[in-house]
Amino acid sequence: MAESIKRTLALSGRHADALSFADLYSKLTHRSSIKNRWALLYLLKSIADDRRKSQSSSIPKVSAGLPSLPLSTPKKTLASQTSGRGGVLLLSKDPDNIREIALREFGDLVSEETEVSESALVRDVLYVSQGIDGRYVKFDEKSDSYELLQSLKVPRSTRILVRKLAELGFLFRKVRNYINDSMARFVAEEVGTVGQAFASALQDELSDFYKLLAVLESQSSTPIPMTGSDSGSPENYLSLRRLAVWLAEPMVRMRLMAVLVDKCRDLKGGAMAGAIHGQSQHGDPLVQEFMGRLLRRVCSPLFEMVRSWVLEGELEDVFNEFFIVSQPVKVEALWREGYRIQSLMLPSFISSVLAQRILRTGKSINFLRVCCEDNGWADAAAEAAAHVGTTTRRGGLGYGETDALEALVIEAAKRIDRHLMDVVHGKYRFKDHCLAIKRYLLLGQGDFVQYLMDIVGPELSEPANTISSFQLAGLLETAIRASNAQYDDRDILDRLKVRMMEHGDGDRGWDVFALEYGARVPLDTVFTASVMKRYHRIFNFLWKLKRVEHALIRVWKTVKPNCIISCSLAKEPAVRVQFVSVLRRCQVIWNEMNHFVTNFQDYIMFQVLEVSWARFSEEMDAAKDLDDLLAAHDKYLGSIVEKSLLGERSQGIIKTLFVLFDHILKFRSLADRWFERIYELQNRGKSSRAKSKDLSKSGSWFDGGRKSMIQLAGDFLKKMGEDLDVIAKDYSSSLDAFISQLPLQQHVDLKFLLFRLDFTEYYSRLSPSK
Amino acid sequence: MPREIITIQVGQCGNQIGMEFWKQLCLEHGIGKDGLLEDFATQGGDRKDVFFYQADDQHYIPRALLMDLEPRVINGIQNSDYRNLYNHENIFVSEHGGGAGNNWASGYHQGEQVVDDIMDMVDREADGSDSLEGFVLCHSIAGGTGSGMGSYILETLNDRYSKKLVQTYSVFPNQMETSDVVVQPYNSLLTLKRLTLNADCVVVLDNTALNRIAVERLHLTNPTFAQTNSLVSTVMSASTTTLRYPGYMNNDLVGLLASLIPTPRCHFLMTGYTPLTVERQVNVIRKTTVLDVMRRLLQTKNIMVSSYARTKEASQAKYISILNIIQGEVDPTQVHESLQRIRERKLVNFIEWGPASIQVALSRKSPYVQTTHRVSGLMLANHTSIRHLFSKCLGQYEKLRKKQAFLDNYRKFPMFADNDLSEFDESREIIESLVDEYKACESPDYIKWGMEDADRSLTGEASVAGALESKLTM
Repeated sequence: MAESIKRTLALSGRHADALSFADLYSKLTHRSSIKNRWALLYLLKSIADDRRKSQSSSIPKVSAGLPSLPLSTPKKTLASQTSGRGGVLLLSKDPDNIREIALREFGDLVSEETEVSESALVRDVLYVSQGIDGRYVKFDEKSDSYELLQSLKVPRSTRILVRKLAELGFLFRKVRNYINDSMARFVAEEVGTVGQAFASALQDELSDFYKLLAVLESQSSTPIPMTGSDSGSPENYLSLRRLAVWLAEPMVRMRLMAVLVDKCRDLKGGAMAGAIHGQSQHGDPLVQEFMGRLLRRVCSPLFEMVRSWVLEGELEDVFNEFFIVSQPVKVEALWREGYRIQSLMLPSFISSVLAQRILRTGKSINFLRVCCEDNGWADAAAEAAAHVGTTTRRGGLGYGETDALEALVIEAAKRIDRHLMDVVHGKYRFKDHCLAIKRYLLLGQGDFVQYLMDIVGPELSEPANTISSFQLAGLLETAIRASNAQYDDRDILDRLKVRMMEHGDGDRGWDVFALEYGARVPLDTVFTASVMKRYHRIFNFLWKLKRVEHALIRVWKTVKPNCIISCSLAKEPAVRVQFVSVLRRCQVIWNEMNHFVTNFQDYIMFQVLEVSWARFSEEMDAAKDLDDLLAAHDKYLGSIVEKSLLGERSQGIIKTLFVLFDHILKFRSLADRWFERIYELQNRGKSSRAKSKDLSKSGSWFDGGRKSMIQLAGDFLKKMGEDLDVIAKDYSSSLDAFISQLPLQQHVDLKFLLFRLDFTEYYSRLSPSK
Repeated sequence: MPREIITIQVGQCGNQIGMEFWKQLCLEHGIGKDGLLEDFATQGGDRKDVFFYQADDQHYIPRALLMDLEPRVINGIQNSDYRNLYNHENIFVSEHGGGAGNNWASGYHQGEQVVDDIMDMVDREADGSDSLEGFVLCHSIAGGTGSGMGSYILETLNDRYSKKLVQTYSVFPNQMETSDVVVQPYNSLLTLKRLTLNADCVVVLDNTALNRIAVERLHLTNPTFAQTNSLVSTVMSASTTTLRYPGYMNNDLVGLLASLIPTPRCHFLMTGYTPLTVERQVNVIRKTTVLDVMRRLLQTKNIMVSSYARTKEASQAKYISILNIIQGEVDPTQVHESLQRIRERKLVNFIEWGPASIQVALSRKSPYVQTTHRVSGLMLANHTSIRHLFSKCLGQYEKLRKKQAFLDNYRKFPMFADNDLSEFDESREIIESLVDEYKACESPDYIKWGMEDADRSLTGEASVAGALESKLTM
């Protein structure tokens, strides 16, 4: 470039100019501080070229009286620029006597005003810049800054300049104190690796700064030429002004560092990295570059932690500075509570989505390792690492490579989650267990439930505190052996246990009986104690419903067609009408109750259990990680609870429902008594008739017996009719309440229940008439 | 405690449909012709022990009693591939082998005489079960053995096992063709009395309708007995699926029947099945969704009982209850949609004196039987139009009775000795009142029915008879 300029000058016939350029250029080359010399020259040249062009274009218009000006311009510019680098602006060297004299006078004036020489001040500033008090510039505790001693007589401008320069010292002091501090604290293990990295990065920056200071110091020994003295003086001297220029950039850096130090004083780990990152969002490329350098250093321990967490599940976080923290928990709670994100420690350059993914990946590994005792994840992790490439080596990731980090995390998450799902579904047969729970706890295995109801039923009518769950366990085993459950996997059956829920005073066995399914590690992560508690509630509810159904069916069985049709009371003219009427009312009430119970069960089966299961099953297959699976299961359980009226919002209606159940059970026990009596009367009638055949002569006696029987029957039927009226009234008022509450429920699916109950619009036809 | 069900098949027809039933059950459970489990039958989930028990050598034996007064059909079974399936101790053929000569009275009388032998067999089977649920009787009501001996067995079971359920699959004679059994109306009437009084549930299989279905739906020009019987076995096996494949609901016979039969006397059920195929016949493959199946089940042409009702009467007929057993891969949400559609279109007319709805039971399909359709459905319905079938029987009886025709054959037997035909009158009266009760069920005032004319009935038999007489003529 220099050559090209020379040539241009030579070509245009200005050899003298070319020579002086060469001279200037050699001076320039000696200046080590100018790095992009080429660029500088190029700039100047292009300016010159530009001028020339504009000049040539303006020649026709403007007078040619200024031919020397454009020619001198490049030189002047060059000169001014070059000397500008040196620190002092050399004005035009036109020897003008008046000006010279004036300058000299000014110099004298200045030296009169100044008690200390500029070089002394320069030295002081250099000291101060290293945090050492100078002779004149000292740290003032009060104002928390370096001040030029007030007593000194210096020009205002100098004082200001010194104060400005002394800021560097203040900043330096701050940074150095911080470094020292963190070094000291490091022993006490409070700083953490990120803090250390930060401190060491700062230290490195400081040592760069020291280098500069060393150079400056060597220059400071060169005496400062007197103001106004002419050429011949050495170029490499330092004046305060020159110093200001030299220190401008370090000042920016130092200021940044000081800001960071302020920001990070009480922070550590991810939070610190985040704070630094927050400062790096800056338009100035200088700042950006500096911060980038710093951040790469600071984040490297953090990224290493992420890497080892995501690929190895290790939490190497002695100083508690990672954004994932572990908590000592029981094995079953490992997944839910074992690890969590500490948002404080989450650097802002890692999005929360990514953070979640990071959390889950490592958690999956730990879950596999601890709960599943599975080692296959290592292969998955290795595969993921291989897939993403070499950036996964230890320490290979750094700040600014968030994309690479994300890729690694995504890849690792994908593979490890898939592996985890494989293990959960394959080795631990998640779906089988869910199905088993559906079969036993949600009463899907009808025959088993029926036997259990048959044999456990009588026990459960006892007060809850007198029931031995040991005995119930025996009955449970019997029910298993008697039903198709016996063909089920032994492993599944072994998990099935009787469980009595907490009971209060006056609770019967029915209120507290539940089946339990022992989900072992690792499935207890899904089926936690609280989840099982919800299952128990659902079981208990379904069980009560079954009990009511069971009761109604038993009633039907006692009055089944071939028993009641030929009942002899229907043939006794005296009570026939009464009997038929009472019986029919009884049947109609039974029909209504049965309609309610069967349709309620239909609703439970179709709209609650099966539909929820179908959805869950789909989601289960689609689940990509354990969180999905947990969410799906939660949704499943939640929907069952809600739709079975067990939710918070259904407390009113469930009460009404239980009242209805109570009426039905009461009806059952009454019906048992009625029909026992009826059959007894019938038998008495039969035997009296049989006697009448034997003793056909004693007609009067027989008639007497028969009459008394009919009398009894009449009274009884009257009583039965009254009881029936009461129960019918109670029942229908409760049912009305239930039906009127149904549409108020939040859940849409309850419409189905209403629809089924009122399929023939029987109830809607009834209600307007009321 | 599998809630065992003992099947008693009586007479020619009873044994034929029984045999088809067991064939079908064996197929569905993967049980071979010799009672041994097929190698492929490893997928559990089915309950074989309701209808079978296992012998010492693990082969499955049906809980079935085969009874006949003539050896032809039973010999046929004993010479068939299935001869080793049945327990030979459970086969009863009358010693003289002369049959009942299509005479109810003969069948009844012979039943009475061999009651000890028969009840021994029944008791043995009953003792062999842990928790006997009940009995299923397969018979026809028109012949001699199935009707007569069947009637006797019904009475005896009712007496001895009064706590157990008694369900029958009763084949009603074909009304369309002139029967070779001229005394059919007598036999039917007398059997109907027992079905009304001594059975808990009667599944009516109307041969007229079965033939019609075979002709119209299956496009068979001349359906054979075997073909109509396979329709019956399809219905029988389908109606027991919820017992054999336990699910959330309807796992026992009582539960199944209780909802269907809210009033004791009205315990005659109609059936419908879709899609129908006869053995080895490849039918047109139809789209089978739950809605399609449920809708088709409500169509009269798919119902296996002929409707003899006139249009006006038919429009008044009402369902007392409906249970649809849907088998196959069913999306449970479709059930609700189908029900909604059915109600919107008012496809079904229910009783007005109480709440009612279509019950739906979902059941698994046997994994061993391959079918071309995804979903199939059976309807069990308690419908008041069945009274027209009984009226028809009554009408035929009246015709014959007026002529005093063929009564001599009956007078030979003790029940009708000395020209005591009161049994006929009593039976007629009972069927009359059955018809009346069904009719009353069509009215919203069923609850009060029978109360207002109760006083009249007290005044004497004559007025009742008169009332009946007048009802008959209308």
